[in-house]
Amino acid sequence: MIQTHFNDDRRRRTFVFIAATVAVLLHASTVSAFEAVITNERSGDVIHIDNEGSTAHVTAVCNRPRGITTGLNDSHVIIACSDDHKVVSYNWKTRTIDSEIVNVPGAMSISLHRPSKRLLVTNEGASQASVYDLSSSRLIAELPTGLEPDGIVITDDGKLIFVASENAGLVHVFDGETYQALDVIRTNLRPRRIALLKEELWVSSEMGSRVEIFNTKTRMKIDEVIFAPKGFRPEQMTPVDILFNPNENEAYVALGGANHVAIVDTTKREITKYILVGKRAWGLGLSPDSQTLIVLNGLSDDFTMIDLTSRRPMLTKRAGLIPHAIEVFK
Amino acid sequence: MRPCRLLAGFLAYFIGHVSAATFHVVIVTASGEESSTRGQTFAGIQTRVERPVERAVKLALFESTASFEAYGISPDLIALDLSDKQPIEAQLKQIPKDALVILDLPKPQFIQVATALNSADRITINVRHPDTDLRDRLCLPSLYHTIPSDRMYFDALGQFLIYRGWRKVLIVHGPTTQDKERTTILEKSLKKFGAEISGTREFTLSHHPDDRDKNKPEFLTGGASYDVVAVIDSARDFGRYIPFSTRRARPVVGDVGLSPVGWHRTLERYGAPQLNERYQQFDQANPLPSSEAMSDAEFAAWSAIKLITNSLSVANINSRALSPRQILKHPNTQVDLYKGTRGSIRQWNHQLRQPMLLATGEAVIAVAPMPKFLHPKHYVDTLGLDKPESPCQLD
Repeated sequence: MIQTHFNDDRRRRTFVFIAATVAVLLHASTVSAFEAVITNERSGDVIHIDNEGSTAHVTAVCNRPRGITTGLNDSHVIIACSDDHKVVSYNWKTRTIDSEIVNVPGAMSISLHRPSKRLLVTNEGASQASVYDLSSSRLIAELPTGLEPDGIVITDDGKLIFVASENAGLVHVFDGETYQALDVIRTNLRPRRIALLKEELWVSSEMGSRVEIFNTKTRMKIDEVIFAPKGFRPEQMTPVDILFNPNENEAYVALGGANHVAIVDTTKREITKYILVGKRAWGLGLSPDSQTLIVLNGLSDDFTMIDLTSRRPMLTKRAGLIPHAIEVFK
Repeated sequence: MRPCRLLAGFLAYFIGHVSAATFHVVIVTASGEESSTRGQTFAGIQTRVERPVERAVKLALFESTASFEAYGISPDLIALDLSDKQPIEAQLKQIPKDALVILDLPKPQFIQVATALNSADRITINVRHPDTDLRDRLCLPSLYHTIPSDRMYFDALGQFLIYRGWRKVLIVHGPTTQDKERTTILEKSLKKFGAEISGTREFTLSHHPDDRDKNKPEFLTGGASYDVVAVIDSARDFGRYIPFSTRRARPVVGDVGLSPVGWHRTLERYGAPQLNERYQQFDQANPLPSSEAMSDAEFAAWSAIKLITNSLSVANINSRALSPRQILKHPNTQVDLYKGTRGSIRQWNHQLRQPMLLATGEAVIAVAPMPKFLHPKHYVDTLGLDKPESPCQLD
């Protein structure tokens, strides 16, 4: 029952290469410039890339940098340093670390609520999330979760916090003001990332091979999107990051071991396109003009830039070791 | 029978839940029947850790706390150490009807207990024996295997060798019946993926002067052309001296050197570091150093519990006890194995399908299935006997 596809694969790679070259030439003339910062979990650094995928700088930051988000001003990104148990504020213009919050156990994913200047961090080994006042670095609250909390989001109005626990298969819901536990949502296997689309809560289930959609108020499941690109088996779909492009009513989902990114129509909740990228695609970033999707490939240590107009990969370039997350700037 | 106390505070939570369904877990051991030198070789040298699986079972129950809470289930762990003073059947009568029974027994006792419990309609789990005869011939409707089969181990190795381009394999195997049976399985795996066996040599532990060419690695591996040496030495005794002593400068794989394993302490992807750290530290009264990880048998026991607790959404929880049988038979039953691809049950022979690791003592070199080995239905079903090949057809 074994098939080997050495020849087919080589032919396909040649085709993809030619198609990508054409796409790059077409795309380069229209795209507006941007810069992006990528955390590299294994090599302990960030790389700065431009819209052509060239690496301009490599800066050592800390041990096991993972989650990243834009800080209170646009010249800073906040980076979770998992093995150093801290969160650092990195000025990407001067390429220096300006401040840090220490004693943040196993900091993994982070989320910033700008109006209230609150930073939310999941503490992977400690089965909790923590909330900090970013201006004073003061710890405001600790929220108990299941084992291995990862994705964390807060609603725009600051009233609800959602935390996914990978091991527990649960999303914990907290009051964003009193920090009381409100509810627990049961999910499929290994919920990783959470993304908010108005009153919809999209949760990627890495080992359940799907994205589940819940209502933020009722916490009832509304729908789910199950992935099946051609030539892959269901259990190879291991989705992680979810990113919305509200202008186009599109969601992008990195499919991990399926080596593809999916484009989902958010109104119909239907998959409209699968795009081949690198190995274990997980982190996602969108250019400021929403023309370019950047996909981080965690197992092949590279990133793929996709032109969203033609919906084709333009280029794949080397990142650091285990690229994890990306933040994009004008 | 000794009721086993779970972690402090863990059970206490459930006392308030009167209506909760109970998840009975029983670990059956026969400590009196175990060899006193288990995991050891000549001169008492420890070549592998053989820990009881109880710690891994407790870890899996601890990890499932939030799921038990969400689904209104209370776990009940019972340790049953069989005594040779009483008839086994009488001792097995104490096992509750809907229990998940984990058998951590030497092979003869394993077969006896699994057969008796099959007649008594109890679900049993093989967490210890990779032996293919337990899948292919014993083939009991109530018996499930969460430890990989020898065929899965060797298929993973075969794929790795082909992927690396090391196609010419010299096999060096031991003299025991188990060594010879496993060599036959290795040969099948190598042929399945297109490797060429350039010779098969048997070593001996005899020091008779006439046997010198069968007990010196240099002689055993001479007079042949090969890319790699595959060693089958179930006791992990003589085989340990083959790497770095081969006639040609070639890598050594199999029971020594690069080995196929179910779990490893150095896997650094897929959340594995968190699982290893938890295994070392969750039992605060008895922590283990970071050099320790679950053995394949412990990982299999952990997998069996997690297979149930990861699949509670498919369970009919309307009675007082949770039915492992109903969950294990359900097509959507699945488990997060921290190996990048979820595990599930091959319904034809009740084997847990899973990715396999290829590891040295210090690092995981690859995770099988290797790239380009494709199966029409299940990603990991190129490892082990597929439905058409299996003599056991339970579905």
